Amino acid sequence: MLAGCGSKSNTKSADVENTTKTGETTTEKTQNEKTAAENKTDDLRKETLFITGLEWGPPSSFNYFTGVASFPVNNQNNMLVYETLFMYNGLSGEIEPLLAESYKWIDDYTIEVKLDKRAYFNDGEPVKIEDVIYTYELGKRYDILWSSLWTYIDSVESKSDDTIIFKLNKKDYNILAVTESLTNVPIHPKHIWEKIEKDANYDISEINKFFNESPVASGSYKIYSYDDTKITLVRDDNYWGKSKFGKLPAPKYITHILFKSNDAASLALKRGDLDYSQNFIPNVWKMWEDGAEVRTYLEEAPYYLSDSMPSIYFNLSKPGLDNPDVRRAIAYAIDYKKIIDIAMNGYSDVVEPALTVNNELESKYIDKDAIKPYQWKYDVDKANEILDSIGAKKGDDGIRVLPNGVRLGPWKLECPYGWTDWNATLEIIQQSAKKIGIELETYFPEDTVYENDRNTGNFDIVMSTPADVITPAQPWKRAHDILSAKELPPFGEQAYWNFGRYKNERAEKILELIPAEKDIERLRKLYTELTIIYLKDIPTIPLMYRPTYFFTVNESVWTNFPHENDGTGIPPYCFDGAGIKSLYNLKNK
Amino acid sequence: MRSSLYILLKSPKFMIGVCLLFVFFAFIVIYPMINTNDPLEMVNMRFQPPSSKNILGTDGFGRDVLLEMAHGTRTSLTVGVISGLIATTVGLIIGIFSGYRGGIVDEILSSLTNVFIVIPSFIILILVSVSIQAKSVFIIAIIIGLTSWPWTARAVRAQTVSLRNRDHVNLARISGFNTVKIIVFEILPYIMSYVVMAFIIQLASGILSEASVSMLGLGPSNTISLGIMLNWALLQEAPLFNAWWTLIPPALTVALITFSFYLINLGMDEIFNPKIRS
Repeated sequence: MLAGCGSKSNTKSADVENTTKTGETTTEKTQNEKTAAENKTDDLRKETLFITGLEWGPPSSFNYFTGVASFPVNNQNNMLVYETLFMYNGLSGEIEPLLAESYKWIDDYTIEVKLDKRAYFNDGEPVKIEDVIYTYELGKRYDILWSSLWTYIDSVESKSDDTIIFKLNKKDYNILAVTESLTNVPIHPKHIWEKIEKDANYDISEINKFFNESPVASGSYKIYSYDDTKITLVRDDNYWGKSKFGKLPAPKYITHILFKSNDAASLALKRGDLDYSQNFIPNVWKMWEDGAEVRTYLEEAPYYLSDSMPSIYFNLSKPGLDNPDVRRAIAYAIDYKKIIDIAMNGYSDVVEPALTVNNELESKYIDKDAIKPYQWKYDVDKANEILDSIGAKKGDDGIRVLPNGVRLGPWKLECPYGWTDWNATLEIIQQSAKKIGIELETYFPEDTVYENDRNTGNFDIVMSTPADVITPAQPWKRAHDILSAKELPPFGEQAYWNFGRYKNERAEKILELIPAEKDIERLRKLYTELTIIYLKDIPTIPLMYRPTYFFTVNESVWTNFPHENDGTGIPPYCFDGAGIKSLYNLKNK
Repeated sequence: MRSSLYILLKSPKFMIGVCLLFVFFAFIVIYPMINTNDPLEMVNMRFQPPSSKNILGTDGFGRDVLLEMAHGTRTSLTVGVISGLIATTVGLIIGIFSGYRGGIVDEILSSLTNVFIVIPSFIILILVSVSIQAKSVFIIAIIIGLTSWPWTARAVRAQTVSLRNRDHVNLARISGFNTVKIIVFEILPYIMSYVVMAFIIQLASGILSEASVSMLGLGPSNTISLGIMLNWALLQEAPLFNAWWTLIPPALTVALITFSFYLINLGMDEIFNPKIRS
């Protein structure tokens, strides 16, 4: 089914009842439209961009408050319906203007943002400073996606009718979190949500019940229809951004199809029923070898640009796994090349253990020579040597036992069922561990079980991608998700980072210093020291590099998607951040 | 007895079934001796077509399909035998008891049986499999066994009812034999032939059930079976790569093994049921 797709929280069914009620009326509407539409199927096909891979289940709501809303409100930086002040370009590392025109630092603790006065919501009301302040302050009143921001911000104030001032907290000083917020706080219209808040009596659980069937927002698309199999958006021909971008996005409709499994999605892409897929597609080159007009962002292997590192997290409270030497031995025993070849279809380079991905944007923060002595690579002899040196002797069954009597296994290796690339990865790790006398068992439960196990710490070893988001706050965000124990819920409660509950005071200190630092040389020092701590303690083992979004398109209907050397500088994804610029360049074939 | 065996050996159905089975047995016993590798070891790249190195190619994990087949068939047969034994034993006990005792016991056991017949056993099987975390081959076999006994119970009950009032049973009862003794010595021998055939059918359907459950991803974990092979082949999109060698061999093996059991069953039917003897 779905290939490993990051960390979504697990309360998706929070207001299922509400969903079904509102869902009924829409289904009727869709059916009527369908009959009318059948007459002009061809035209419709040309006007519609069919996509998949951003959403997995039937829509639960389009309400950001719930934290688990559906496409196109599922990612905070998805710009189709709700827009943010700026959009992040994961390719260049730049922050590009959207609802705002520009920003500048007044001093170390103050940012001034100038709003684009042309912007208006799709009900005709202009986007004003009040809307921005209102949206930010929602996070103060309720526990929502951008609430944690208020640790780092003292205030958001208006300076003039088009200028906003963000004052940063001097004690908890974090530049990264605040800049990130400029690219991922979806601006909500005050005049709409004020009423909703009031009707719900300012009770978040009541606000969460609001389905938000047709969101009033400033984006270029509106919700058109949805059911259990697809979500369709229609272009707002009255979109304010027409003046900003000079034109409207090309597709009149965007339909996200909700496939039951990956293989069905791959077949649809190959046939050209689908134009764009963010799914993992095994042996993608077979598609064009078989004559389909399919291509990826890079023309040749590894085909995709990687920006994340799926890893295994160790539960550091389990006897045996709490021993860093055991973890180090496992790190040496894993056949990383095999993971890339078999599980990842060669869509990655062999991973070099660190807190950073091996791209230019991130590797500039690391002194590669300094961390080299601490890095591991596939070496079974070395792994055995480590285990021998701590006195772990093999029992009759070939499994080692520590001197204190702790048997090395059986430990469960967990990831969701049907994420085939991850399943294969864990199968390889299981085989690797067997060779050094450690017994691991793969365990593939349903998504929701997996998420709950992972977040509450009910696991031995679990696979997950730390900070699987494209944001200007990388690689700090990833380091934080791996190492930080600050305000981390204990075992038994839902935690969304540091699942193994690692704790190190020096690492914590560095994680506080980095976001307050602007000087690249000092940043390099801090990141390098942090990486060495990480490589010594091994709370996680990175297994591969992986794109946050696999970018695969079929150009039989739409062409001109972003391309490695197309000179546009648009990152390889069409719906998040600066990637939406690609929609303006699309052309019918 | 000798004539029965003679009829069996003359029966082409029985012989074809036995020969087929023998081929599979020989394969699962001999091949793992020749190729002693771990079937879960990834020996090559994924979805490699059949070659001299991997006779039946490799699957989506880069494992040797032929070796997997040998171990998988063994697992599938094990599940079949265990689940068949359980289903037949449970069905036999419930059937005989309710048929022989009659009255309120019969009422209760029959309605229980009917309830289980009405609820599709496969649904129960799925629900139970979903709720159990660590699934060994043995546990899967038990679950299958415990969900597939009702038909045996019903048929055994009907036969027992007709036997209950036969003269030799009445005689035994008058002589003061206890219930267990009567059942074992006076009733069981008369329905034994049916029970053996029921066991064979249960065994075959146990193999099918395991394959079905495993294909849904609910099969035993950390092992290999024919159903699991099919499950992974589909999940890893083998049809997209025309990797027929990962799908057809396990599917064909499941089909042929169950087919051979049904043939054996048909052949035996000819002895036990003279009416259809040719």
